[in-house]
Amino acid sequence: MATDPLNVANQRIVETLASRLRRRQVVGSRETALETVLVLRQVISKVRFSNIDQLVEIIRSVGRKLVEAQPKEHTVGNTVRKVLHHIREEYHTASQGTAVVSTSKDTLSIAKFVLQGQPRKQNVPQKTTLNESHGMLKENDADDPDAFARTLKPVLMEAIQDVLDELETVYDNISKNAKDHIHSDEIILTIGKSSTVEAFLKAAAPYRKYTVIVADTAPSYRGHDMAQSLSSAGISTVLVPDSSIYALMSRINKVMLGAHAILANGGMFAITGSLLAATAARAHSTPVVVCAGQFKLTPQWNLYHEYGALDFADPSSVLGFEEGNLVDKVDVVNPFYDYVRPELIDAFITNDGDHPPSSVYRLIKEAYDDEDYEL
Amino acid sequence: MSPNTASTGKDNLIADEEEVLQAVILADSFNKRFKPLTTHKPRCLLPICNAPLLDWTFESLALAGVQEIFVICRSHAELVKTAIKNSKWSKPGAGLKIVPIVTAKETFTPGDAMRDIYTHGIITSDFVLVTGDLVSNIHIGDVVREHKERRKTDKDAIMTMVVKQSGVNHRTRSKGDSAVFVIDPETSKCLHYEAVTGYPPKKYTSIPREILNEHPEVEIRNDLIDCSIDICSVEVPSLFQDNFDYGDVRRDFVHGVLTSDLLMKSIYCYIAKEGYAARVRDTRSYDSISKDILSRWTFPLVPDDNHPGGHSYEHLRGNKYIAKDNSVILSRTCKIGNNTLIGSKSQIADNAQVMASVLGQRCIVGAGSVVRNSYLFDGAVVGPNCVVEHSIIGSGVHIKERTRVERGCLIADGVVVGPQATVKPFSRLSKRRQDSDDEDEEFEDAEEQCEDDDDDEGEGEDADDEEEVDSELEDVEANQDPEALAKLGADTNAIIWPLPVVDEDEDIDELEHPDNQRLMRIGDNASDLVLSDPGSVTSSESESESDSDDDDDRFYGSNPASSTTSLPLGTPSNLVAQADSAVISEFQQEVKQSLDRAFAEGHSVDNAAVELKTLRMASNVSLRLVREAVIAAMVSRIKIMAGGGIPQRQEIASMISRWGGLIDKIGGVDPVETVEVLQEYCASSDRLPLFGQILAALYQDDIVDEDDIRAWHGNPKAQGQDVKPASLQDNYNKCWVTGAHMIKQFDEQDSDEESEEESDDGSDSGEPVVKDPVTEKLPSAGTNSSEEDSCEESSDGEDEEGNTDEDDSE
Repeated sequence: MATDPLNVANQRIVETLASRLRRRQVVGSRETALETVLVLRQVISKVRFSNIDQLVEIIRSVGRKLVEAQPKEHTVGNTVRKVLHHIREEYHTASQGTAVVSTSKDTLSIAKFVLQGQPRKQNVPQKTTLNESHGMLKENDADDPDAFARTLKPVLMEAIQDVLDELETVYDNISKNAKDHIHSDEIILTIGKSSTVEAFLKAAAPYRKYTVIVADTAPSYRGHDMAQSLSSAGISTVLVPDSSIYALMSRINKVMLGAHAILANGGMFAITGSLLAATAARAHSTPVVVCAGQFKLTPQWNLYHEYGALDFADPSSVLGFEEGNLVDKVDVVNPFYDYVRPELIDAFITNDGDHPPSSVYRLIKEAYDDEDYEL
Repeated sequence: MSPNTASTGKDNLIADEEEVLQAVILADSFNKRFKPLTTHKPRCLLPICNAPLLDWTFESLALAGVQEIFVICRSHAELVKTAIKNSKWSKPGAGLKIVPIVTAKETFTPGDAMRDIYTHGIITSDFVLVTGDLVSNIHIGDVVREHKERRKTDKDAIMTMVVKQSGVNHRTRSKGDSAVFVIDPETSKCLHYEAVTGYPPKKYTSIPREILNEHPEVEIRNDLIDCSIDICSVEVPSLFQDNFDYGDVRRDFVHGVLTSDLLMKSIYCYIAKEGYAARVRDTRSYDSISKDILSRWTFPLVPDDNHPGGHSYEHLRGNKYIAKDNSVILSRTCKIGNNTLIGSKSQIADNAQVMASVLGQRCIVGAGSVVRNSYLFDGAVVGPNCVVEHSIIGSGVHIKERTRVERGCLIADGVVVGPQATVKPFSRLSKRRQDSDDEDEEFEDAEEQCEDDDDDEGEGEDADDEEEVDSELEDVEANQDPEALAKLGADTNAIIWPLPVVDEDEDIDELEHPDNQRLMRIGDNASDLVLSDPGSVTSSESESESDSDDDDDRFYGSNPASSTTSLPLGTPSNLVAQADSAVISEFQQEVKQSLDRAFAEGHSVDNAAVELKTLRMASNVSLRLVREAVIAAMVSRIKIMAGGGIPQRQEIASMISRWGGLIDKIGGVDPVETVEVLQEYCASSDRLPLFGQILAALYQDDIVDEDDIRAWHGNPKAQGQDVKPASLQDNYNKCWVTGAHMIKQFDEQDSDEESEEESDDGSDSGEPVVKDPVTEKLPSAGTNSSEEDSCEESSDGEDEEGNTDEDDSE
């Protein structure tokens, strides 16, 4: 038990998710994040620990395994960091018995600052339960090693539920201010099929009358689905080839992009073609707005140095496998993501307020603990 | 615990016995294309992109959601078992249950292995059958679902083959071992399968006519990669059991099932639109699949993502993959080309070049060396200033300085070559056995690894392997050419495997023919082989034609068997003639033998007819061919009497009366054709003068009647039009003239009889004139006289009626 903190059942759960991640059977940032939280919850519910360090170590090891399985799906690591952050917070609250620390932290929050003093979502009744249990919280109790876990677990479960809730409501929270960002008679360009952007645009549809131009996003052509979905929601939609993005840019009021991961420097990875759109927008000084959940904030910032970080997919969507004569003679490069530099982005719309790229580092600092940057 | 947890669904699947998807891996290749690399290791454990082939196969199956895998191993079974035991797949979290099954040494074909599976009785439901050298990212689960769905409505759909569309010239498509699929595009049912070998070039494929009759639309495809992924139902192993001669799954089983009239089973194709799947069949496909992996066709099964060996690689610009653990030492001046994979702890020295190659772990490339399009297994060392091109270098091989390894070489584990040697193209080298004392240290590495693999395993099985291999090695070793050996350098411990030779006497499988094998060899562009298959690289002309219009030509009429006589085969191109003659001569040979027996042993006509029918079914040729053969056999047996006249006539009459009945009993009655065939035969043999007499005899025996002769006579072909050469045409003409005489006599008789038997005429007035049954009177055509006529008279009329009736019913 001491050598292998994970029991067999837990190991199996983790392995299963790891191999599914590795085989790309779980795709999409939110899906991945949800799966990760569920696995973590299961692991915590089953695991035995007698002090906080053990628990943190266990979660980190699970996180490491999952991140290793799919280093390009950054939300896995982010979710693990987030859960760790929450666990520590709960632990501190429980052991100190006061909620002063967390509230004082809240007052310093940049998100709170941006949101002009709106209180951060905090579970007030939860604190009272914590206060009750405070007296029983004993670490490394030799007589009853499980006592610590027993007292802390219900709180932890709630903390994880918070993370889960946040993930589940992320689209609603992002799009609740949609009508403030989109004005009537605007023409908005988007690319690819980001569920966040989709929800955002749809949320504004009842209040505003506007047009969306969707680039078809070769070679995945996810833009087609996007256009269909938007037009079925009653939004006037135009589908254009990627090549006409620049030509149309002069008429466009706003470029709205989804993100795969937001890096600490304020840059982001987004679907191929995003860089094209963002650069064209820069040339016309068109604002570029990125809609993304907070779980996409990634503490790494230098990933763009890595060639492989763009996640090169198979060439078949660019050059058909049946083109036998060419396959041997042509090297096809099919990156799935583009790296968009922070200079090209004007604002991030998150479920935690709107921020410029320059303050992303601060958001990250608030969302995760420094010691978890390297899992 | 919440019920909707991530793994609940999966757990349910495992618990539900019905849903367990089984797979069978044939982990033996049943051929020797990788010799001598495979002398001490089964092919499925050879690394491709630094992970054993078997691991790629497991990963492919795991990707598809397979939960239970049976691995059928034969050679080096213990190695395979240990490899499975030590792999990540046996760990509890893997979600795979892998059961190795060792089959007897006498398992020589996949068919034997399937029979073994049947005897073991391990298969409980539909299963996936793959080979142990598969690299795939196809969602086999979808195919299985489709298969099961189909099974619900059609119990006879026993198998679904996964094929992948590729161009004819795709590098991954095996040129020496491919196939033509005839598919109904609507149901994707496979209607016909015909294996194609690259050399000798295959020019035709035979498609049974029924297929074209029954299906309004068929696709004839020669551009598919056979992935060797089959979804089989439980019946498949038992079918193998019932048909003990089925060897190969494709050539025998699929072809057999599709052509069998008795089994009534159907096989479907799944043309994979997405995904990649290919099989390492030979060294050439080893090369191309490695390149496919490196250029990410197998995504997400790529070195930097989901490497089956569990290594992690960093993906760099130009599809270069370098091991991620910072253990690779690359000199500042070395050059790494595109599509290269370098394993951990490898070293590339100054000014060395590595291009489009795969280096295993702990490989060393010396200063100034060039490694191009080559595959170096773990621990291979290339000394300074060497050149290695298009070769596969086994683990622990040491190529000493200034050595040149030309394209297509296979160098087995532990060989030392050089210094300053030149290894000729396509050499196959392996290490001399232990007896020599110049054992090098490099060996130890390789040796150690082997031992690592099979340390605590039973030695019994291994000993068998060793023996088998040893006897082969001994042969090779005994026949070494010292001169050639000397060229391999001073320090070498290698022996050279002989080039495959063609043994004329031996009945060698076309597939394994050395020339065909050349198409499967790494680095061999086979430019000196004349290939007409569109899959060939050599003739661009055939390429351009092959895909669309030429296909029709090539397949059109290529099967004389499946076309009936009445169908003119369009423009008789050379191709058709060639194909015809090949099948015809084979069949004729058989019929001749059968008839020889019948004549010599005096079989009854019925028995002989039965035998002929069987033969015809077996080789599926047209009726006309049988008729030709029978007539030829009969006529050639008629002795030519020196005096001619009556003895000659008697000879003919006795022959026809004894055997003439056979002509109509071969399965169909077509007297006009009989006359045609007779004419054809007589015209081209020395029995030309007998034509008239034989015809008369046939007439007397009611095998042909007047109308038939008239019909034949009316046909322009009977005059020998379009017949070449001129001498033959003359002969045709002579026959025709003889026939004309006969008809003249018929006419005379008709007018005679008309007056005599008007009542008869009246009753048959509805019939056309040519159908007039009143032709009993024997004509005295040609040399025939009317002496014997009267005796036949009465019976003729009735028989004739019978005959025509039969004609109609046919």
